[in-house]
Amino acid sequence: MGFFDALAQWLGVKKKEVNVMVVGLDNSGKTTIINHFKPPDAKNHDIVPTVGFNVEKFKSKSLSFTAFDMSGQGRYRNLWEHYYKECDGIIFVIDSSDKLRMVVAKDELDLLLQHPDLKNRRIPILFFANKMDARDAVSSVKCSHLLGLETIKDKPWHICASNAVSGDGLHEGVDWLTDQLKDVLEKKRKK
Amino acid sequence: MGRVTSDPVCLYVTCSARRWQLPAQTSSATLRLNRRMLSLKRDKKEEEDGGANPFNNLEKSTVLQEARTFNETPINPRKCGYILTKVLYIINQGESLGTTEATEAFFAMTKLFQSKDPILRRLVYLGIKEMSKIAQDVIIVTSSLMKDMTGKEDQFRGPAIRALCSVTDHSMLQSIERYMKQAIVDKVPGVSSAALVSALHLGKGSHEVIKRWVNEAQEAVNSDNVMVQFHALGLLYHIRKSDKLAVNKLVSKFSKHTLKSPYAYCLLIRIAAKLIEEEDAGSDSPMFDFIESCLRHKSEMVIYEAAHAIVQLKNTTAKDLAPAVSVLQLFCSSPKPTLRFAAVRTLNKVAIKHPAAVTACNLDLENLITDVNRSIATLAITTLLKTGNESSVDRLMKQISTFMSEISDEFKIVVVQAIRSLCSKFPRKHNVLMTFLSQMLRDEGGFDYKKEIVDCIIATIEENAEAKEAGLAHLCEFIEDCEHTVLATKILHLLGREGPRTPTPSKYIRFIYNRVILENAAVRAAAVSAIAKFGAHCDDLLNSCVVLLERCQLDSDDEVRDRATFFVNVLKQQQKALSSAYILNGLQVSVVGLERALHQYTLEPSETPFDMKSVPLATQPITEQRVRDVPGELPSSKPAQDKVAATRQDVYQEQLAQVPELANLGPLFKSSSPVEVTESETEYYVQCIKHTFSNYIVFQFDCTNTLNDQLLEKVTVEMEPAEGFEVTKYVPCASLPYNKPGTTYTLVKLPSEPTQVTGTFACTLKFVVKDCDPQTGEPDEEGYSDEYVLEDVEVNVADHVQKVMKPNFAASWEEVGPENELEDTYALSSMSTIEEAIKNIIQYMGLQPCERSDKVGEGKSSHTLYLAGVFRGGHDALVRAKLALDTSGVTMQLTVRSTDPSVSEILATAVA
Repeated sequence: MGFFDALAQWLGVKKKEVNVMVVGLDNSGKTTIINHFKPPDAKNHDIVPTVGFNVEKFKSKSLSFTAFDMSGQGRYRNLWEHYYKECDGIIFVIDSSDKLRMVVAKDELDLLLQHPDLKNRRIPILFFANKMDARDAVSSVKCSHLLGLETIKDKPWHICASNAVSGDGLHEGVDWLTDQLKDVLEKKRKK
Repeated sequence: MGRVTSDPVCLYVTCSARRWQLPAQTSSATLRLNRRMLSLKRDKKEEEDGGANPFNNLEKSTVLQEARTFNETPINPRKCGYILTKVLYIINQGESLGTTEATEAFFAMTKLFQSKDPILRRLVYLGIKEMSKIAQDVIIVTSSLMKDMTGKEDQFRGPAIRALCSVTDHSMLQSIERYMKQAIVDKVPGVSSAALVSALHLGKGSHEVIKRWVNEAQEAVNSDNVMVQFHALGLLYHIRKSDKLAVNKLVSKFSKHTLKSPYAYCLLIRIAAKLIEEEDAGSDSPMFDFIESCLRHKSEMVIYEAAHAIVQLKNTTAKDLAPAVSVLQLFCSSPKPTLRFAAVRTLNKVAIKHPAAVTACNLDLENLITDVNRSIATLAITTLLKTGNESSVDRLMKQISTFMSEISDEFKIVVVQAIRSLCSKFPRKHNVLMTFLSQMLRDEGGFDYKKEIVDCIIATIEENAEAKEAGLAHLCEFIEDCEHTVLATKILHLLGREGPRTPTPSKYIRFIYNRVILENAAVRAAAVSAIAKFGAHCDDLLNSCVVLLERCQLDSDDEVRDRATFFVNVLKQQQKALSSAYILNGLQVSVVGLERALHQYTLEPSETPFDMKSVPLATQPITEQRVRDVPGELPSSKPAQDKVAATRQDVYQEQLAQVPELANLGPLFKSSSPVEVTESETEYYVQCIKHTFSNYIVFQFDCTNTLNDQLLEKVTVEMEPAEGFEVTKYVPCASLPYNKPGTTYTLVKLPSEPTQVTGTFACTLKFVVKDCDPQTGEPDEEGYSDEYVLEDVEVNVADHVQKVMKPNFAASWEEVGPENELEDTYALSSMSTIEEAIKNIIQYMGLQPCERSDKVGEGKSSHTLYLAGVFRGGHDALVRAKLALDTSGVTMQLTVRSTDPSVSEILATAVA
C-alpha cells in the first residue's frame, strides 16, 4: 500500500477493506441484496440469475466491503469453496418463503461449515431470512430453528429478517457484520 | 514473406488466414505493451546487459506458486499484473499446464476482478482466454464478464465479449444470446467487431444459435466502420455458407449496394470466386462481372484481390484475363515494393497455366530483374523463365547467376523449380541448365534446397536420355562432398539402377567405391548395394566387383558386412535368375505388412518356415487421394493419412481383421479403389471396395444415409453372384443413422476353376426403415423392410493382380522363363493412338508398367510395353506387349509369362 493510502487510513478518510461472500440457494435474493447497497446510478434494474460470480464493492459506516456474489444454482454451488479461504465474513441468504427447500439450504450450510477452509476459523456469519414480506414467509426464529443455527457454537452468527426489494432489515444486518469484522480487525492489530 | 513489409496488401496476400484471428493479434499487442511497461520499470542494469528478456528461464512451478499472490487482499495491481504476464508467457511458450494446476491458477485469477485497474483487467481477459480450454469450471467468470460487457467502460467491453465467448459452451449460449445480439449492433466499433468475430468462432460449434443473429449482422453490415462491415459480412457469409442460393443472393445484393470497407470488398470477391469455381461457371456469370468491375475500384487492395481472383479461375479465356493481367502489369511498375511483390508473385503462379497472357508483361518483368528487392527480382526471373522462349534461356540464366548467392534458400528453391519446368519444356537446353544446376549444387545451401536440385536432376535424367550421362556425372561429383546422408544414399541407389546401362559403367564404380572408404555406415551400405548391381548387370565387371565387395566384408559395420557377404555369395553363383531376384529386383513387399506377418509368426512358432508369399505386396503409393466433400460426411480414409508408413491396404487389412466373421481368410491380397454404386446425391450413398483374398472376395459397402427422417437397421447388400461364384456370408450393419457412414460386408467364394475369375454381380441394398424425428433423431418403435437397387459391381482381372515394379524387367523376364509362355496377336481397332492403347491395357490387366515403358516417344509408330505384377496366390506375371500403329488402328503382339499356366491364360485373354 502506498504512502498516501497509509496516510488516508491514519486520518480515517479511507476505510478498511474486508472481503465477504454472499451465498445461498438460487432465487434467494443475493444479487438483489447487493444491488441495494450500490449507489443509485449504478443500480441494476433487471436482475438475472448469476452464472459463476460477481464482484461488487459497497461501503458501510466504517468498512469498505468487497462482496463476492456467488451463483446459487445447484450446478455452481461446488464452486463456492474456491473463495472460502480469503473471505472475512459470510452472508448466507435464505428464501424464507421456500419452506420446501429449507432442508436443501441446511445441507449447503452444513457443508459450508464443515469445509476445511472454514471449520477452524471464527468467521462471522450473517443470515438474511429474505422475502419476509411474502405471505407464507416463516419468521426468522422459525428459520433459525429449521436450519439448526443454535448448534453453531464456534462462530458468531446473527439472523435478521429482510426484504431486499424495499431494503428493510438489510442495514441492521450489515451493521452487525461491520461490528463483528471490526472486532476481528482490532484483535489482529493487537497481536 | 509477409514480414518483408507491413503494407496491408502484402499482408493480405500472405496471411489471409490471420484475418479471423483478430483477438489473438490484439492480445499479443497488449501483452507486448504491458511487458514493455513493466520492463521499463525494471533495473537499468539489466537493460544495459543488452535488454535480455526478463521472462527467460521461467520455471512453471515457481510461476504457479507466485500466482497464489492473486488470493491476497488488498490486491496489488502492478505486482499481480507482472505475475499474470509471466503465467501467460509460459503458456505461450508451449508449457503445458495440468488440469488441476490450471484450475487452481484460474480461480486465483478470478479474484483479480476485485481490482478495477484497466491493465490488470485486460490481462485477466487474456488469461481467461488462454486457460478456458485447460482449466475446469471456467464458467465461473460468466457473470463477471457479462457485467463488463454491458458496463460503461468501453475499453473493457470488447475484450470481455471475446473472453466470454471462449468460456461459453453450447448449453450456456442461450443465456448470453440477448447480450451478444445487442453487442453486435453496438455503436462502438470495437465492441461490435468483437461480438461479430466471437460469433464466427462460436459458429463452429453452435451453428443453429448463431443463425438467429442474422438480422443483427445484417444491420452491422451497414456500419460506417470498415472493420465492422468486414466482420459483419464475414459472419453473414458463414451463416449462409451451406446454402448456395443464399450466398448467391448475398453476393449479388452487396455487389450492387456499395460497401465502404475495402476488406469487405476483398471478402466478397473471394466468395464470388468460390461460387464461380463451384458452379464451374465461366466469364458469362454475373459473379464474374462483379469481380471484373472491382478492377476499377479505387482501393489497390481490392484491385489486386480482383485481379488475383480472375487469374486463378479455371474457365477463363485469354480475353477475360487481359484486364486482370494489365492491372498486375501496372502494379509491376508501382513505387510500392509490396504491390510489385504481390503482382510478380501472382504472375509467377499463373505463368504455367497461361503463359501467353503473362508474356504481355515480359517487358515490365525484365525491368524488375534489377529490382533492389531480391525477392521481387527472383520471382521476376523465374516468371520469365517459365514464359520465355528457348533463345532467352541463356541470357536469363546468366542474369540470375549473378545474384544467386544473395537470395534465401526459399527463393533458390523457386528458381530450381523454374529450371525443372524448363528442362521438360526445352529438352535441347539441358546442357546449359545442367551446368547451372551443378554450379548450384556446389554452392552453400540447406538440405531442402539441395534436395530440390537433386530431384530436379533426377527428373531430367529420367525424362531425357541425352542428359543422362552429364547428369550422372554431376551427381557423382556431388556425392564426393555431400553432407546429407539421405541424398547420398538416394544418389547411390540411382547410380546402381542407371549406371550399369550406360556405355561405360566402369567409370562410376570409382565414385561409388570412394564412398565405401570415406563415408558413414548408411552411405557405405548403399554403396555396397550399388556395386553389387553393377556386378549383376555387367558380366565383364563381375570379377572386379566381387573383389571390391570382398574387401567390404572387412567393414566395421554389421549392415555393410552383411550386405557385402550376401552379394558376394549371390554373384559367385553366376546365375542370371538368382541375380535378378535378389540383387536387381529386391523385395516387393509392404514393409508394414512384413512387420506384422513376422510378428504374428514369432507369436505362434510353427514347424513350417516363414512363407514370403503370405506377406501383402507393396502397393504403389496412391498419388491422387480424392477427397469427396459430402456435407457432414467423415472422411473414411482418415487413418491412412495419420500413419505415414501404413499404406491404404494395410489400413483395410486392419479394419477387416476387426470383423470376426471375416477373420481367418488369410492375408489380404489386394483392395480396389472405391467405386460408387449409387449416384452421389441420392437417398442412400453407397461406395464399394473389393478386397481380394486367396480364395475369397470381400465386398465392402460403405453406406451413408442422407435422409434425416430415417434410421436404417440391419443393412445388407444382397448380391446375385455370377456363375461359379458363391455368396457365403453377409455381415450386416446394425444401424445406420442419418449422415453417419456405416459399413456392411458380403463374402463371396471364388470359383474352383482357376481360369474363371471375372463376373458381374447385381446388388440390392436391403434394410429395415424406422421413421424418426428429423430434429431429435428419436426413431419410431416399428419399422418396415425395404430395398434399394444399386448399380452392378464388376469383378475383373485387375482385381486379382497386384502391381509390382520390376526395376530390371529383362532380368525378371529371363528369371521366369518361357515355360508358361503364351503369345497372341490382337488388332485393337477402337484405339487410334498408342498412348490410348497403353492406358487401356494397363487398366484391364492391372499390371505395373516397368522401365517407364508407358511413355511413348513422340511421333513413333511402334512401341514395346513391359508390364509386371503378381497374380492372386503369389504367381509372378510378366507381360510384353509390342504395339504398332497402322491405318486401321493399333496392332498388338502380346506375350505373357508366368510361374503358373492358368495365370498366363487369364492374362492373355484379359484384353480380348
